Amino acid sequence: MFAGRERVPSQVWQCELTLERGKNYLIVADSGTGKSSLCSYVYGYRRDYSGTIGFDGHDIKTLSIAAWCELRKTSLAYLPQEMRLFPELTAYENVWLKNQLTHHKSRAEIEEIFGTLGISDKLHSPVSRLSIGQQQRVAIVRTLCQPADFYILDEPVSHLDAYNNSVVAQLFADEAGKQGASVIATSVGNHLALNYDVELKL
Amino acid sequence: MKNLLWKLLRKHISPAQLIGFSIANLVGLCIVILAVQFYNDVKPVFDDEESFIRKDYIVITRSVTGAGAMMGGSSEFDDAAIADIEAQPWCRKVGRFINSDFSIYATVGLGNSGRAMRSQFFFEAIPTDFIDVTDAQWSFDPARPEVPVIVSRDYLSLYNFGFAATQGLPRISEGQVGMIPLAFTFSGNGLNDVIPGRIVGFSSRLNTVIVPEDFLKWANARYGTGGARHPLRLIIEVNSPGDVKIEQYMADHHYDVAGDKNQAGKASYFLTIIVSIVVAVGIVISLLSFFVLMLSIYLLLQKNTQRLRDLLLLGYSPAQVSRSYIVMVLAINGVVLLLAVVLMLIMRAHYLPMLQALDVPAGSVLPAIVAGVVIMTAITVGNIIAIRCKVNALWLLEK
Repeated sequence: MFAGRERVPSQVWQCELTLERGKNYLIVADSGTGKSSLCSYVYGYRRDYSGTIGFDGHDIKTLSIAAWCELRKTSLAYLPQEMRLFPELTAYENVWLKNQLTHHKSRAEIEEIFGTLGISDKLHSPVSRLSIGQQQRVAIVRTLCQPADFYILDEPVSHLDAYNNSVVAQLFADEAGKQGASVIATSVGNHLALNYDVELKL
Repeated sequence: MKNLLWKLLRKHISPAQLIGFSIANLVGLCIVILAVQFYNDVKPVFDDEESFIRKDYIVITRSVTGAGAMMGGSSEFDDAAIADIEAQPWCRKVGRFINSDFSIYATVGLGNSGRAMRSQFFFEAIPTDFIDVTDAQWSFDPARPEVPVIVSRDYLSLYNFGFAATQGLPRISEGQVGMIPLAFTFSGNGLNDVIPGRIVGFSSRLNTVIVPEDFLKWANARYGTGGARHPLRLIIEVNSPGDVKIEQYMADHHYDVAGDKNQAGKASYFLTIIVSIVVAVGIVISLLSFFVLMLSIYLLLQKNTQRLRDLLLLGYSPAQVSRSYIVMVLAINGVVLLLAVVLMLIMRAHYLPMLQALDVPAGSVLPAIVAGVVIMTAITVGNIIAIRCKVNALWLLEK
C-alpha cells in the first residue's frame, strides 16, 4: 500500500491495532490514504498488504472461501463506499438478495426501515432510477439485513443530509446495540453521527 | 423472489451463441451415435460366427486351369503335397475332404403346399475334430438313420433371394431350416435307400455340403465303387489365418484358399475404418462445439464479472453463484443429448428396413446411447469445471 515510504503518520497503518466488539470506531482519513483499501483487507477480498490481520488471533489469510462466505453472512457487514447495488433490480430486490441469504429481517421490517429513511415510495423502483442519496439509503438497508459483530461502513453518509445522517446513525446504533456489535465507520469529513468510543486518524 | 440470482446473472446471455453451440453439438453428437448405431446394426452382416467351425481353419483347393482340367487328375492333392503342407511351420493339422462316390438325390418338401424340390446332390466329409458340433447331432447311426448336414450359406441365399422371391414361395430363416423335411435317396451297387436328413447348420467357409465322416465312410462302402481317391480339397488348421507366409505358399503352389471368409473379413475391416473416420469427424465437431460453448460462457462471465464479484461480497459462495450457469449448461446439454438420440432413432428407422430385407437382426441401441451419454457427460464436466474455475478466480480482487 505504502511501499517505498519509510514512515506513514497514521494510527492504523504500521501500528498494532485491536478493534473490539461492542465499541464504535470512527476512522478519519484524507482522500487517498487507503480507507477503502483498509476495508477491502478486513473484508477479505484483497490481500495485497504486508503485516497481519487477525480475527480473534487467527490470521485471515488462512481462512477458506467457505469460512469467508459464512463470516460475510453472520459476522461482518460491509457497506462499500461505491454501494455496489444492482441497477437492474428494484430497491427491494437489492435488499432481499442479501436477506434471502441471512433471513435476518422480515418483509415488514424491511419496509419499515424504508419508511424510516423516507424512501417507501421507491421500494419497487429500479435502483438505476434512484438518486445517489436514495441509492445510499437502499445500500444502508441492505447492510442492516444481517447479523454481525462488526458493521464496516465506508463513508456511509457521504451523500446524505444532516437529518438523514442522524436517522441512519440511530438505525445502526439500534441494530448494533441489539447484538452487542461494533460500528466501524470511515469518513473524509461527513461523519456518521454516532457516539464513538475511539477515533482513529488513518 | 427466488430467482433473483438468475434475474441478475442471465444478463448478457447470448441466445444466438447458445443456439449455435447446441446445433453444432447436436450435429457432432448425432454423427457419433448414428455411426456407432449403424456399425452395431450392420456388423452382423460381416461377422459370420460359425460356431461349428473354428476361425483358425482355411480350406484349400488346387487352382483349376483349363489345361489342368483337360489333363485330368491334377486337381487332387497327392500324399507328397499333403506331407509338404504338414511340414510347414504355420500348419497344425491337415484334414482331407472325402467325396461321395455314389448317386444322391435330395427331396425337399415345401410345407403343406404339396410341392417338392428334387435335385441331384453330393456330399463331402471332413474329420470330426475339425467340426465343433460336439453333441449327438453330428453323428450317424445305421440303426436309426438320419443324416445331419451342414450346407453352404450361399445355398440358402440362393433359395431365398433367387428362387423363393420369384416363385412366390416363403422365405426361410436359418432357424427354420432345421424343421424342413429333407429326404435323401442313395443308389449304387443295386441298392436304393431313402434316408431322412436334417440341416444342422450353415457355413460361409465350406462351399459344399458336409456330412459326418463316419456316415460317408459307411455310405461309400455300401453304395460306392470302392476306388480309393486322393482328396480334392484340404482343410488346414493354422496358427494365424492372416499370415502372409500362408498366402505366399498358396500362391507358389497354385492353391486356392476358400475366399469368402477373407472377403467378409476385408469388408468388415473397411466398415470399421469408415465408421472410425465418421466417429472421429463427429467427435471433432463435438469438440469444436464444446469450445464454442466454452467461449460463450467465458464471454458471459467476463461481461458479468462485476455482478459476480458483488454477489461474492454479499456473502454468496462461488458455488451458489456458479449454480445458475451450471444448471443452464446441464439443461442445454441434456436437451441436445435427447434430441441427438431421437434424431438417431429416426434416421435408424429409415435404414433398418433395408437391413431386415437381408435377414439381419437389428442391433441393440444401448451402445450408441451409452456413447452419447459418455460424450455429453465429458463435455458437461468440462463446462462445469471451467465455470467453477472462472468464478473462483473472481474471489480475490488483486490490484
